[in-house]
Formats: sequence, structure tokens, C-alpha cells
Amino acid sequence: MNDRPKSGMPSGALPMLILRVLQTRSLHGYAIAQRIHLLSSEVLAVEEGLLYPTLQKMLVKGWVTAEWGISETNRKVRFYSLTPEGRNCLETELSDYGRVTQAIQDILRTA
Amino acid sequence: MGEIFRRIRYLLHRRRFDQELESDMEFHREMAAREGRNNFGNTLRMREQAREAWGWTWLGRLGQDLRYAARTLGRSPGFTLTAVLVLAIGIGVNVSAFSLFNMVALKPLPVPDPGSIVRLERRSPQSYTSEMPYASAIFYRDHAKSLSAMMAVLGVPPMEIDGDLQPTSASFATANYFTELGTVAAYGRMFDRVREGAANSAPVAVLSYGLWQRRFGADPSVVGRTIHLNGKPATVIGITPDAFPTLGGQHPEIWLPIAQQPYFVQGSKVLTDPSAGSVRMWGRLAAGASPKMAAQELLALTNELRRQHPKDIWDNEYIDIKPGAHLQVMQPEMYRVAAMVAVLTLLILAVACANLGGLLLARAVTREHEMGIRIAIGASRGRIFRQLCTESLLLAFLGAAAGLGLSYAVMQVVLSRLGAPKWVTATPDWRVLLFTIGISVVAALFFGLTPALQIARQRQRKTIARQVLIGAQVAASCVLLIVAGLLVRASLHALYTDPGFGYQQLVSIDPELGQHGYTPADAQAFLTQMQSRLLAVPGVKSVSLVKLPPLGHTVSRADTEIDGHPVAIYPNWVDAGFFRTMGIPLVLGRSFYAGEKNAVIVSQSLARKQWPGQNPIGQKFKNGDDSFLVVGVAGNARVNAINDDDAVEVYWPAQLADMADMVVMVKEAGEPGNLPPIVKSISASLDPKLFPETRQIKMLYHDNVLGVERVAMVVSLIGFVAVLVAGVGIIGLVSFSVSQRLKEIAIRMALGAKKVQVLAAVLRQFAWPIVIGMGVGTGIAAAASKVLRRALYGVDNLDPLSYVAAIGVLGAIVVLAALLPTRRALRLDLAKTLHYE
Repeated sequence: MNDRPKSGMPSGALPMLILRVLQTRSLHGYAIAQRIHLLSSEVLAVEEGLLYPTLQKMLVKGWVTAEWGISETNRKVRFYSLTPEGRNCLETELSDYGRVTQAIQDILRTA
Repeated sequence: MGEIFRRIRYLLHRRRFDQELESDMEFHREMAAREGRNNFGNTLRMREQAREAWGWTWLGRLGQDLRYAARTLGRSPGFTLTAVLVLAIGIGVNVSAFSLFNMVALKPLPVPDPGSIVRLERRSPQSYTSEMPYASAIFYRDHAKSLSAMMAVLGVPPMEIDGDLQPTSASFATANYFTELGTVAAYGRMFDRVREGAANSAPVAVLSYGLWQRRFGADPSVVGRTIHLNGKPATVIGITPDAFPTLGGQHPEIWLPIAQQPYFVQGSKVLTDPSAGSVRMWGRLAAGASPKMAAQELLALTNELRRQHPKDIWDNEYIDIKPGAHLQVMQPEMYRVAAMVAVLTLLILAVACANLGGLLLARAVTREHEMGIRIAIGASRGRIFRQLCTESLLLAFLGAAAGLGLSYAVMQVVLSRLGAPKWVTATPDWRVLLFTIGISVVAALFFGLTPALQIARQRQRKTIARQVLIGAQVAASCVLLIVAGLLVRASLHALYTDPGFGYQQLVSIDPELGQHGYTPADAQAFLTQMQSRLLAVPGVKSVSLVKLPPLGHTVSRADTEIDGHPVAIYPNWVDAGFFRTMGIPLVLGRSFYAGEKNAVIVSQSLARKQWPGQNPIGQKFKNGDDSFLVVGVAGNARVNAINDDDAVEVYWPAQLADMADMVVMVKEAGEPGNLPPIVKSISASLDPKLFPETRQIKMLYHDNVLGVERVAMVVSLIGFVAVLVAGVGIIGLVSFSVSQRLKEIAIRMALGAKKVQVLAAVLRQFAWPIVIGMGVGTGIAAAASKVLRRALYGVDNLDPLSYVAAIGVLGAIVVLAALLPTRRALRLDLAKTLHYE
């Protein structure tokens, strides 16, 4: 029933990654997936079955908005961009994530 | 907060958002294909998953379930119709009962600011009275800052208009009564606070709309005309509106200003006497005052009143404050009656639900195929359970709609039969609608939950659930029938049993001497003359005096204990000839001598309780600190407690001090009918300012019995409806179980089983639930009917005849219901049945 990403996407990390890639500019859905794939040195693949439910959730939560634009292939498509709320959310997520990874690394190093 | 709005926006524009989502995903796919990656995912499913983020999936499922349920029910119209009908009866009866309660006790009167109107009554831990002295009411009005207004109504005996033979009901009200209620006159004007507030103002009267139509031919020029009320001229100033809400639901035909009461009732000191309980009092809470604050302030004022009139205020007396702007101010006893009615109507619902539950279970077996397919293609138990619950809810709401209609019709009939005030309508208000929704959800839970659980767990063939449902139906019907039986017996008993006195030929004449300012000596002189003049009238057999006449306006009762058992003693004050006039036999001893003191006559029932096995004559009967010599024992006569068989009576010899309160009892040889005009002329010749109230005891008695008869009729009707519903349910279940076992029966019969044995095999599973249901029902009825005792007119609440009759009727119907469908099994064509399948 649940389409889990094959490439071991840490659960719960996708919204943060989406927020991060949208931080500099607005992108359409496919570009978001591409960018995450590229930036992770092709380690993380974002499946369609996970990307769109997550985007819908973020729309409902008000972290991102979607507006019509024209794609590089000259097609009418929706571009997602961060809202101020999304920006705040990204900041807290990043700092939380930083703290947790730091803590995990501390354990891995010393234990 | 923003998220909720966004979600709602997604719900409202879901089509557009869905299209956008679709376009996004299509684009994604195009791009992926361009880069040579194929996606084999199910687009529809993925879109569905994405949409789940909006949080409205449940709504869509509900819609699906509802559509599916509607289709399923539509495919079996016979079942649906039966179910809706059964539910309409069960829910309709409850909604009707609630509508009546709502009308009487919950719905505020259509008057300005009804919430601030309160009913004020005297109470103490030991005592209660609905009426208070007018002088006290004025005292509270003048000193209470938490009350912005005080309204009082003084009920009086009917008055004669311009020498009519039939007197007309009348009440005195404070001059602010109509302004506080916002009453607008149909013609003329209502009381004016200033003009009608003073005792010396010109005498006026307001007529009711009904009286104006009947007695005055709806002539608007009546306003301004002078009429005579008990001989006193008064100007008609106005006509009340047709739909006129009054406090306490009282609708006298004539309204008079209370300040002018001494003018209309000459010699009366009711308004100034601090001990005469006379008016019903209402108040309006001042802005910002809570009932609690008012109660505290009034308590302080009551204590102040006690300092002024130490004799007239009880120990620990306080003013009880209740919401006042309802048709009826509920007393604790009324809540008990309401609770009893609620139990009875809920029993009907229980029968209906148990019945429907059985039908649903039976239907489940025929739906096994459908359920099997649904489970096979991946429906979870939860999903099927939810689907079945939706079906039940849909049924319940259909039933509720029908029940609401039924209740509306019932209310229309009830309102017109009861002669309810014009402003009361049968149209359900929001309380009734809310109640209907609530009760239909409860009903859906009752009848739908067990079958849904059983079906979802694929256990519909288990018999235990069916047996429990049958038992419950039988038990509930049993209770209803027994209560109905008791009430029918009670009304028959009341109709055909001697209340202990010869009520047929009695007439009571109340000259109301005390209310006209008579001294005891004057009263005695008047009564002596009146009695001798009455005795001279042909047909009058005997005349005597009594303080509390049968079925009178006041009843006195003292609750005490004898040997630890509570006993209600009804005292009365009588003269020597009372027992002969009333036709009450003196079993032992003698009647009073004229002018006798310190003597007492007790009823047989009291003598038996107080001095079991001893001769009561010559015993001492204690009353407070004094003791009295028992000179006689009278037969049991429920003079003041027609409905209470446990009542016992004590008769005291009337003394000179009682004379102003005495009522004349007359016994006639034949039918009393021509007496009122004679009484009128005798009284007028003795004292023209008196207008005695002449009442025929037989009529009052029949009116009283009529009430019980009506209740018995309604309860019997309800009881029979319940039994019929239960009967239909049992027919359905037995015939289902026969058809389920048709093959087995055929095989048994082919192998040579006797018909009786086959029958026994089929019916065995129902025998125990029915027997247990009857036992439980009888037990519940026996325990619950204790509450009814007072209303049973002396029928024991364990009256064996009622129980046997009720159980007999129920048993007969149940057996009939069980046997009818089995006939099919006995007429079975064996060859055909065994060839089938």
C-alpha cells in the first residue's frame, strides 16, 4: 500500500529537502525531483508516488504555494515556491536536523 | 486555523485542485518518458494517495457508502418499508412524548425576555405551597432589589355575568401582568399599570377572546360596555388576543385588576390578611441579577417577614425560584411522571430496535454472497462494518423522518383534543429536531451495532444474538402490557368501585364566608339558616357541614409513621350529621354530639393500623401535644384522596372557629340537577353579596375518572403496538429460521419424524429466550409499578389479574407468531424440497 522509496530516503526527510531546493527559486514538481536527485549525487530518487502526496500535504499546511508558469518544454505547468511560513519551517527543521545528526555522530564516534 | 480554512477550500474546489494535480503528474510522466524512464505506477491510485493529504477521504467514503446503502435498500423495498415503519413507530412515540414535554416544560413562552421571568413559591424542608399571601408578595415586591417586577394572580370561584345561570371563570391579576407579558389587546386595551393599580380606580374587566366570541357574539362594541359580575358593575376595557400566552398556563375567561378585589368580593380581607395563602407569584429578575442572588435576598426578606408575623412563616422557610415562563412550572412529582413516561416510550423503541436487529441479522444470511464477494476483492472487516453502520444510519434517519411526521400528526390530534392554547403549535422546534436526531442515532446503535459486528466477523449464522434480541423484545413488551393492564384495571376499579361515600347524590355548596369577612359567629348563624332552608327544599334528604368537601379545591394531608410504616393521614373537620349525609357507615361507636370537643372519629383503616387487634373505641389519639378520645370508627372513604388507596382518614368535630371555612353538603333523593338556582336564591335572600359555588360531586368524580381512563387508553394502545411489533418480529425470525432449515426438516420428515417433533426442533431455540424475556419483563414491571401506586385508584401494583392477563395476551401473540410460519414447514412438499439444490 505504501510506496516506500527504494533508495532509502530517510522517512520524514522529504519535506525538508523539498523546502531546501525551493529556497532559492520556485520549481515545478519534476524539477524538484530532479534537483534532489542531482544534488544528492544521484543517491536519492524521489518517486512520483511520494513526491505528490508530500507536496499536497505541504500545500495544505501552507508551507508552499503553487502558481501556473511555463516549463522549459513550453508547457503550462505549476511552479511551487516557498511561503514565509515554509521558510520558518525550513529553518527550524534544519536546526533540528543539525542537532540530531550531530548527536548521532557524537555517539558513533565515541561509543 | 489557516490549515482548516485551506482544507475547506480544497473541499469546495476539489475538482479544480484535482485537475491541477492531474496536470502536474502528467507533466512529470512526460518529462520522465523523455529521459527514457518508464513509470509503471497506477496513476489513479497515486492521485488518490496525493488527495488524501487534503483530509477529506472520509467524506468521499461516506458518500460512497450512502449511495451504496441507498441502492441496497432500494433493491429490497419490502424490507425497507417494514424497517422504516417499525422505526417510525418506535421513534415517533418518543418524539411525541418529548414534544409534549418540550411544549410544557422547555419551550419558553412567546413573551418579552422569557428567561428573566421566575416563579416564586414558598418552601421549607417540610412544607410547600403554590400560593402565598398577597401581603407577602407586596412585601417582596417593595423590598427586593433583585426583582424588577412582581406579577401575581389570584384565582377565585367562577362569577356570574349579568345573572347568567352558568358562572364564568375569573382571575384577579396585578396591573402590570399584561405589560410584563407584552400582551396586545385584540380590541380595546389591557390593564394599565397606573390606572388599574389603585383600589379606588373605576372597576374594569378584560374578557378572554373565547368568552367574547361565545357570550358576546364577537361584537367589538362590547368594549366600553358595563357588565355585572356577581352583581357588581364593571366596564369592559378590552379583549385578550386569541393566541395569548399566560403564566402557568391558566386561562380564565374574565381578568380583573387585583387592586379591585375587595370591590368585587365584598368584605374580603384576602389582600391584607398575612396568613391567607391566596396568590400565585411570579417575578422578573432585574438586569444583572442571578436567581442565586435573588434567592439570597428573598431569604433575608423572609426572615424579616418572620419577625413581623412570627406565626405565618414556617421554620427554615425560603422562596423557591424556578424558571417561570413555561406552560407548566415543573414540580418534582411531575418529573417523576415524565421519567415514567420516558421509560415506557423508550421500551417501545427497544422493542422496535430489537425487532429490526433481528430482521437485519436474518437479512445478513441472505446477503452472505454479497459480503463474501466484497471480502474476496479486498474489503477489510472495518470497511464492511462501516458500510453496514452507514446503512443502519440511513435507515434510522428515514425512520426518524417518518417518525417526525407521525409525531406531528399525533401532536395535532393531542393539541386539539386537549384544547391547548392557540399560541401552542405542533410544529417541531430545534429542540425536537435535535432530540429526533439524537434518538435516531441511539436507535441506529441499538438495532445496527450487533448485526454489523456479527456480519463483519462473518458470524451471522450464530443464534445467540437472535435469541438475545427476541428475549429483549419479549421482556419490553411484557413490561408495557403489564403496566397497561394495571392502568386499565385501575380505571375500571375507579369507575365501578365505591369510593366509600355515596357520591352520586351529593352536592357541595361553598358560600366562602371567610373570604367575605364573616366572623365565626356570623358564619354559624348563616350556615344554620342555610341548612334549615335547604332541608325544606323537596328532594333534599339531609344536609351537613364539612371543611374539606370531596374533590374540593384544597386537600390537607399529614405524612406520619405508624410502627415505622409511612402513612398519609387525611384530616377533615365535620359536623354531627356528616356521616349520614355522605353515606359513610359508622362501623363502631357513634358520631359526634353537637358542640363536642376533644373527640375524634377515625377510619377503619387507621384503626387497624394504629390499634391492631384492639377495640379502638375509648383509645387516645394523639395530635401534637393534645390527645383525643376515639368515639367512633367510620368506614374507609377516600373523600380527599380518591386516587390513594393507602390513605387513612381522621375526622375532627368542627368548632365555632372553623365555621367561616365550612362547606354545606347536600344529599338529594334523586338526580341532583335543579339545585343550583334554588341555592342561589336562598343565598341571595340571606346575604346578597354572596355567590356560593355549587358543585355536583358526581360530575367531578367522573371528570377525575376520565383522566385515568384516557391514560389507560393511551398506555394500552402503546402496549398493543409494542406487542404487535414484537409479534411481527417473531413471525419474521421464525419463518427465517424455518426457511434456513427447510432441508433438514424435509429430511427428518422423510425419515419418519412426527410433525410435533419437527416443530419442537424448530421452535426450541426460541422457547428459552421467550420464557426468560417474560420472567425478566414481569420482574421489571413489578419493581417499576411501585411508582404507579398512587395513580392506581386502590389497585395493588402486584394485582395478579393484570399480570396474568398481560402475560396471557403476550403469550398468545408470541405463540401465534411462532406457529404461523411453521405451517409452511408442515405442508412441505418433501420431494420438491429435497430435489432443490
